[in-house]
Amino acid sequence: MSELESLNEQLDRLREQALQDFAAAAGLDELEQLRVRYLGKKGKLTEVLKGVGRLAPEQRPLIGKVVNEIKQLLAEALAGRERELQAVAEQQRIEAERIDVTLPGRKLPQGAIHPVQQGLEEMTAIFRQLGFTVAEGPEIEDEFHNFDALNIQPEHPARAMHDTFFFADGHLLRTHTSPVQIRAMQSLIKRGGTPPVAVVAPGRVYRCDYDMTHSPMFHQVEVFQVGRDISMAHLKGVLKFFLSSYFGKALPIRLRPSYFPFTEPSAEVDIGCVFCDGKGCRVCKQTGWLEVLGSGMIHPNVLQAVGIDHREYSGFAFGLGVERLVMLKHGIPDLRLFFENDVRFLRRMGS
Amino acid sequence: MKIPFSWLKEHTPIKVSVDEVVDALIRLGHEVEGVETPRQDVQGVVVGKIVEKVPHPDADRLSLLKVDIGKDEPLAIVCGASNMDVGDKVPVATVGTTLPGGMTIKKGKIRGEVSFGMCCSEAELGLAEEAEGLLILSADAPVGMEVGEWLGLEEAVFDLSITPNRGDCMSAHGLARELAADMVLPMAHAKMICLEDDASVVSPRAEIIAREDCPCYLSRRIEGVHVTASPAWMQQGLLLAGMRPVNGIVDVLNYTMLYLGQPMHAFDADKLQGDLQVRRAGPGESFVALDGRNLQLTDEDLVVADAEHAVALAGIMGSEDSAVNENTVNIVLESAYFRPASVSRSRRYHGMVSEASMRFERGVDPAMVEIALQQASKIIVDLYGGRPGAVERAGNIRQVNARRTIHCRVSDIEARLGIAIPEAVDQTLERMGFSIHRQEDSLKVSVPAFRHDVAIAEDMAEEYARIIGFDRIPERMPPLLAKGVEPVDDSVRLAVAGDAVQVITYAFIAAEEQRHFVSDDGRDLVLSNPISESMRVMRRSLWPGLLNVAKYNMNRQQAGVSLVEHGRIYELAGESRREHNMLAWLMAGEKEADQWYARGRAADFFDLKGAVDAWLAKRRLAARWIADDTLTGLQPGQAARIMAGKNHVGMIGRVARDVAEYYELDMPVYVAALDLDLLPQGRPARYVPVAEFPGVQRDLVFLFDRNVIAEKVIRCVQQAAGRLLADAYVFDVYHGQGVPEGKISMGIRFTLQDASRTLTQADSDAVSEAIVAAVEQKFGASLR
Repeated sequence: MSELESLNEQLDRLREQALQDFAAAAGLDELEQLRVRYLGKKGKLTEVLKGVGRLAPEQRPLIGKVVNEIKQLLAEALAGRERELQAVAEQQRIEAERIDVTLPGRKLPQGAIHPVQQGLEEMTAIFRQLGFTVAEGPEIEDEFHNFDALNIQPEHPARAMHDTFFFADGHLLRTHTSPVQIRAMQSLIKRGGTPPVAVVAPGRVYRCDYDMTHSPMFHQVEVFQVGRDISMAHLKGVLKFFLSSYFGKALPIRLRPSYFPFTEPSAEVDIGCVFCDGKGCRVCKQTGWLEVLGSGMIHPNVLQAVGIDHREYSGFAFGLGVERLVMLKHGIPDLRLFFENDVRFLRRMGS
Repeated sequence: MKIPFSWLKEHTPIKVSVDEVVDALIRLGHEVEGVETPRQDVQGVVVGKIVEKVPHPDADRLSLLKVDIGKDEPLAIVCGASNMDVGDKVPVATVGTTLPGGMTIKKGKIRGEVSFGMCCSEAELGLAEEAEGLLILSADAPVGMEVGEWLGLEEAVFDLSITPNRGDCMSAHGLARELAADMVLPMAHAKMICLEDDASVVSPRAEIIAREDCPCYLSRRIEGVHVTASPAWMQQGLLLAGMRPVNGIVDVLNYTMLYLGQPMHAFDADKLQGDLQVRRAGPGESFVALDGRNLQLTDEDLVVADAEHAVALAGIMGSEDSAVNENTVNIVLESAYFRPASVSRSRRYHGMVSEASMRFERGVDPAMVEIALQQASKIIVDLYGGRPGAVERAGNIRQVNARRTIHCRVSDIEARLGIAIPEAVDQTLERMGFSIHRQEDSLKVSVPAFRHDVAIAEDMAEEYARIIGFDRIPERMPPLLAKGVEPVDDSVRLAVAGDAVQVITYAFIAAEEQRHFVSDDGRDLVLSNPISESMRVMRRSLWPGLLNVAKYNMNRQQAGVSLVEHGRIYELAGESRREHNMLAWLMAGEKEADQWYARGRAADFFDLKGAVDAWLAKRRLAARWIADDTLTGLQPGQAARIMAGKNHVGMIGRVARDVAEYYELDMPVYVAALDLDLLPQGRPARYVPVAEFPGVQRDLVFLFDRNVIAEKVIRCVQQAAGRLLADAYVFDVYHGQGVPEGKISMGIRFTLQDASRTLTQADSDAVSEAIVAAVEQKFGASLR
């Protein structure tokens, strides 16, 4: 066998052995060792090349070409095997870091707003949108603002409707938010202003009633607008806008003639039953209607009491029970839930 | 008020259905709360004639009947009653009928015999509480006819809620008048009937002293009445209308009142001493009313009195002593007009309600005062005999009977309503008793005397509106008002951004609870008429309410609560009353539950402080927390005042153990409160450039005496560090093992930064040395 043949054979064996070893490498570290063993400065390939010196000069380029081919082949094989092993290693890392995504997330603190507060905010927002100003008044009132200025005479049966909490000095807990109407108009006139004026007054009110369907403290929103040529048609327009906005659907509304000392004409306002769409159900007692608030055109005596000329100006007013509307909107069956403050109820309703 | 449909029809020939009447009543302003339909309730029960009766082969007590109900074949019915015979007519509930008790009749087998219906008793038809045996109908009852129709059961009874301004509609007559006018039907107006007087019977004449309260008082004596129970038809009518039969005389008066609207009263003439007076009660006068209550009268009370004492609280209730009973022979009837204000005042003062007072305080129809007396007298004499004396008239009904005139403009009413008022409506109003002269834009309206509620142009607007129908008024948006944007109060929204649940509690609490947090300084506002002692004083702290909510929830398996409330506190401030808007927190029990990633823990002071601090930060406010051992109801050593600027704006602390135990809370409970009305405005954010060069962070740990507080240490560090200091805070606090008794270890972490360069080691060393020197010198502390 010539030197050349012997060398070629050595190279063939080396190539086969190297490819076998690379494929058998179990890890990247081992592969690196194999690279050094075969391709390093003192590697096996270099070792083989030492025999080149024994070749005739014209044979040397031939073997050089073969060596370069093997070098390249092995380098590629190494790189390929390295990619394979990297992929395996990555797969192992991924498996090792696998988590249970069904475990609960870390709790962020979660508060809840009271449903009555929620209702108050939604309601006032609707009126703010229409250009109404938000006003508040004292909860401890005098008889003038709570009754007299509102045309409720001392002996009038209407005062019996309002079972009032009194203090020894004759002051009282307001029975409705209507006194804010008086105070807002008084302060307008005192500042030298004149109508138009439009006010929304949310707040707490009190009556000596405590049973299944009455709470001694509850919330009302008083709404009124005074200006030139304000008519009942405007009252109906605003009521329709408000009730449809609050309940989020175009509800039929019905006004029924009624009686309040502070409005003339006066109207009870019904909405089409939100539970049965007016078809008749247990909640609306088969009538298809639900009574939601009292309204009317402000009585001239009320305007007179605050120094507004009722021949020049007119206005509408209405007062709504916040709890009642919230109960209807959210299907809450019992008024007392609002003041029991069971946090399970509040968290469920809260937003 | 309940009114049978038939009573309305006796006044005007209404042809439309019950539903249409309901709609008309509602449209006219008379709220219908419900409708009872006794006749419809027994629909399907027909008159049947028993044509065969044989004993049941297998049951002694049952009979097998063949009953003719006008069909081809008689029905086979198994019956358990025994009071019927062949030829009797009985009510037969046919298959498919549902009886008032809720039972639905089905074809069935009873002991092997088939039954195609049920023969009914009065009880089964809802006509009596109980009954023995079948209801045997009269022999002339037509076979096959609906029993409800044959018995004349009421088609409908309207349950109405008459508004306080419409006394004229508190009767069948008044309501019929409204419906007749609306439906354009003839109206049978109540007529004066005059009985022939017996000259030998002398009616007492009342002397009216309180003329303001009683413009007119009529009285009539009737002698020799034989008081029995009132006839069945009258008793049934009263029951339908929601009143209980009492005795023959009282029933007639009530029946007449329901019919015509005028309340009347009857005295036993033999129990009256001398003449009658209508006057205010005297000092110390008292009176035992029919309901047995002993009333202490005041000079505000109008009474009817005989020569000795008060015999009636005018328009409200008669006395027990002078009442008519079965033994009464001679009576005195009263029919009067009492002023609404007077009746209302007394009624409310004494906490009484009667059918009479409900009508008087709304204002009765003055025209009915005498008509009703005459009609009632006639019924009494017809039913119970007796010789009527002449009607004695004191005062003059014309004082209330005057028609008012209103002048107004059509255009004003149209502007108020937002709709045109056609002339046709005038005619409806005329039928309701108004008289109207319309000339171009001017209206002259003469108001009937019974319409006490119509006095001004705006009242006429309501009359026009209800005739036209409120539903015909269009919906229009009013001119919108341009105005500046106001900030929305977001106090609660910010407070629930953490884990707090907003609660709303009553503004009144028990006096005892008030004392937990507010000492007794005479500034409580106390209700005169509270619902109960636990709701007597206006709260001056939101904490008792929150503690009650905590107790309520802890008793319902909550491991912990985090609550916030937004509401007012109330107190006397000199002569005036002060209301402040407060925000209050409560935290107790479990703050974080055990989780797979962390162990749970209980709430502590710093959880709550953090919540309050976060709230203030969102308002761009910073607070100072000043330890205060003197705060009522809070545990010394764990309580502080909250200062914003110079204002004392709130308090925070752990609830004293005895107070927490009062609310059955056996864990630490923390509360805080901010007075929103005292909080200063937060400053709007100002731009500061973000530092370009890196900062240097260093930690220093010192050993202090236990009484040294963090706030002072930080202030000392700030002063010593100078202008390079960007931030400094306590990052570690420790005492216990490794730290000598009476000492505390506190770690301070500070960051230095310069806007113009990167700091060097030398810079931070210099500042550290300055800090160490200052802290050691000021607190006698040593570096650990």
